[in-house]
Amino acid sequence: MNKRLITLGCLTLALLVLAIGPAWAKTIRIGLMCPLTGSWASEGQDMKQIVELLAAETNKAGGIDGAQVEIVIEDDGGDPRQAALAATRLTTKDIAAVIGTYGSSITEASQNIYAESGILQVATGSTAIRLSEKNLPLFFRTCPRDDEQGLVAAKTLTSLGFSKIAILHDNTSYAKGLADEAKALLEKDGKTIVFYDALTPGERDYNAILTKLKSADPEVIFFTAYYPEAGMLLRQKMEMNWNVPMIGGDATNNPDLVKIAGNKAAEGYMFLSPPVPADLDTPEAKAFMTAYQGAYGSAPGSVWAVLAGDAYRVIAEAIAKTGDTSGEKLAAYLKANLKDFPGLTGTVSFNDKGDRVGDLYRVYKVDANGAFVLQP
Amino acid sequence: MKNTTIIFGISALAIACAPFALNTYWVDVLNNVGLYAILALSLNIILGHAGLFHMGHAAFYAIGAYTAAILNTTYGVPILWLMPVAGVLAGLFALVVARPIIHLRGDYLLIVTIGIVEIVRIALINNVFDLTGGANGIFGISRPSVFGFKITKPQHFYYLIWGFAAATIFLLLRLEHSRFGRALLYIKEDEVAAGGSGINVPQLKLIAFVIGAVWAGMTGTIYAAKMTIIAPESFSFAESVVLFTIVILGGSGSIPGVILGAFLLVGLPELFRGLAEYRMMVFGAAMVLMMIFRNQGLVPPAPKHYAIKPDLRAGGAQ
Amino acid sequence: MEEFFQQLTNGLAVGGIYALIALGYTMVYGVMKLINFAHGDLFTIGAYLGLTLLLSFGLFDKIGPLAAVGVLAIMVMILVAIIGALLERVAYKPLRRSPRLTAVVSALGASIFFQNTIMAIYSPKFLVYPHDILPKMAVNILGLDVPIIRILMFLTSLALMAALYFFIQKTKIGTAIRAAAIDQGAAKLMGINVDRVIMLVFCIGPALGGAAGLMVGLYYGQVNFSMGWMYGLKAFTAAILGGIGNIPGAMVGGLLLGVIEALGAAYISIAWKDAIAFCVLILILIVRPTGLLGERVAEKV
Repeated sequence: MNKRLITLGCLTLALLVLAIGPAWAKTIRIGLMCPLTGSWASEGQDMKQIVELLAAETNKAGGIDGAQVEIVIEDDGGDPRQAALAATRLTTKDIAAVIGTYGSSITEASQNIYAESGILQVATGSTAIRLSEKNLPLFFRTCPRDDEQGLVAAKTLTSLGFSKIAILHDNTSYAKGLADEAKALLEKDGKTIVFYDALTPGERDYNAILTKLKSADPEVIFFTAYYPEAGMLLRQKMEMNWNVPMIGGDATNNPDLVKIAGNKAAEGYMFLSPPVPADLDTPEAKAFMTAYQGAYGSAPGSVWAVLAGDAYRVIAEAIAKTGDTSGEKLAAYLKANLKDFPGLTGTVSFNDKGDRVGDLYRVYKVDANGAFVLQP
Repeated sequence: MKNTTIIFGISALAIACAPFALNTYWVDVLNNVGLYAILALSLNIILGHAGLFHMGHAAFYAIGAYTAAILNTTYGVPILWLMPVAGVLAGLFALVVARPIIHLRGDYLLIVTIGIVEIVRIALINNVFDLTGGANGIFGISRPSVFGFKITKPQHFYYLIWGFAAATIFLLLRLEHSRFGRALLYIKEDEVAAGGSGINVPQLKLIAFVIGAVWAGMTGTIYAAKMTIIAPESFSFAESVVLFTIVILGGSGSIPGVILGAFLLVGLPELFRGLAEYRMMVFGAAMVLMMIFRNQGLVPPAPKHYAIKPDLRAGGAQ
Repeated sequence: MEEFFQQLTNGLAVGGIYALIALGYTMVYGVMKLINFAHGDLFTIGAYLGLTLLLSFGLFDKIGPLAAVGVLAIMVMILVAIIGALLERVAYKPLRRSPRLTAVVSALGASIFFQNTIMAIYSPKFLVYPHDILPKMAVNILGLDVPIIRILMFLTSLALMAALYFFIQKTKIGTAIRAAAIDQGAAKLMGINVDRVIMLVFCIGPALGGAAGLMVGLYYGQVNFSMGWMYGLKAFTAAILGGIGNIPGAMVGGLLLGVIEALGAAYISIAWKDAIAFCVLILILIVRPTGLLGERVAEKV
């Protein structure tokens, strides 16, 4: 028994050494906080791939002012408590700035920690409005805010001529925020919200919800939550032979949506989203698409991971232009001097709150082959 | 007895000096360990001492944290003053929900407590009574201050959390050796015999439940103060499972065991960070291995010895 | 009224799956008094193995859908049964004589391990079964369009459950399993190889869970590494609702839970449906402390 215990102890020690391992070198270190485990692991692993790819490109081109870039990755597990720990850990690793993370409440748990350590943070998928309303001078994000999307959603639904609208969310911070925003705007506009409720994410069978939705008889369903559920809803909606149109928020912008729903069920589905690099003809976007294809053999998963790439690029740009790695200098540069920076998702500029400015949202529609087609 | 005192003394000293030797990150890991240790100790009263299968402890923790957060953000009451209020509310809630279910047998009680934690979480997400902020949770909770000293850094929290942990341990040691503690032990070992000896079994079980809940509620206050934002997903069923595991893994009913359990269960995933996406896989395997090699828990409670009074021994022994 | 019946069929479809998974919980519990929290992940493994086998053999093109599903089901059930038996051997057998909750923690550890291993092998992405491999016809029953697959799925779960029930009640091995469930020591004295009975139970339960995983994969199409956690919890709830350790109880509990969820979502609130289901469960347990069909066994003294 004792021998076994000793072996177990040695194993633990070995792992400890492994964990604390990597040697220090004179480089620019940029942190990446993303969900490598947990429910959003696929987003996080995509973020990691993209940021590592871009950093490798920078290093191949000679680094930033001759200094090599090293990406320090921490897993936030998609959970606020783990995110706080991951953030604290990153602050001890001598990083110039940090990229991330995906979920709004996860980012929120880390905001104060970076702020108190004077580290620049560029969030990537955290769209909740309040994140940038707290007067944190070092906080930025490359994604648009929920209120902007709510506005675009209301406008789109109105311009398509719908007046009896069902809104379905999933009670996550993000989806509920968007649903509330859109509901308020639509009601002000004189539209009728015939249905407003939340599904439970992660389930397989949404027939009960669809049956209830059908009896409310809406002209359109506005679904504000994530792509796995959107895919299931579309699929089961078709099996019910119910042809009501469905429009989704930007969290449904993921090619897996079509894989889950099938081409037939997904055809005609529309969603709002920042443009994906494949739809931009800027040289940056094209170069990125080729590089990603070459490295990983497929197109990047969702636009959210690409926004992490944009976060990396603005940070690298700021460091290169200022020749400095202090949070305040970088933040000052991003707010005052970075204008219309050519990003992977269009041009990037920030306002005083650190929010990305510009008319970012586009409307996409799924065609018969399951491709996402940018609507004019 | 002497040996354990020495071990206790050394670990206490080590814990008191740790922040000077560690960087901020590890101090914060220890903060988490401390929080989980206190929570697991409070669960230990219910699960370890009274032997009630309770897998919904996060519900009481949540009620404490939310009570403190709501009163702090709307009325500006200093957060640490709210500890007793949060504790009492969590205790009352436990009393109300536990009363009708306390007679359920082992596994039936287990699922009911899982049900309670899920109902609480769903209620919080759905913004019940318009108080809980839905999935956003509650943010902007102010930092605590002790005698005018504002606690902000992990190092400060470290002493707050471990100070509270020390108080908890002291009180629990007293409880364990009290008449009440001995009665609970009897119930756990043999419920029928305990009832036959005149112990009011349901009542004592209920008291154990409420004490555990009060303590979890108070700990929730510290958690709210430390995070400054609380959201429903921090109080999920999975969180209850972690607490449950800490108690069983450490050695159910044993205070040092539960603390060691907290170190392992919260500390190991952090140690495994170098393994990136494989870390939880290794962690799961480690859990199975630890149970196989130490199936009474890592530090099982020492069997109770009571000194027999000399005059009794003189008369009784031949 | 039509909506009510529609929701009823929705509930029964979901409940059939819950029931099938719940059987694994209940069987293992009956013999070992162990809540096998890793059971939900065996269900996930079934779904993933089904996908792999389906893609690698291309059965659907060769022998037609019905035969292909049959072959696939047998292969998945055998493989998951082997994994279940291995799990028992590695994680539970050394703990037979330990306190009951020790094995529960071991099961939780195994669950975390399985979940993350699946993620490491198959990537964390949502994987999808090929579309249109099953016929998408619907039949009209009492004015409702019910997809044929749903009916087949429901009938399959009923058939599996009935087969299991007769196996346990009517065969010699089934008698041995029941004997071991009542008193392992006495069963040993009667010449029953209890180790082998436990091994068998750990083959049958996971096999049924694996079959449920395959069915979910085939019908709903989308599989994900963490899906077993929720299905497992629901199935455990169902097993308790019906009275854990009791095979007809698991069926009744599963179907009932599915129906409660569907009707709760339809007539009260979708967002609160899980809370409603748990409330009903708690109320039922307050009235019947050992579940609907659970026997009121006196605690062994």
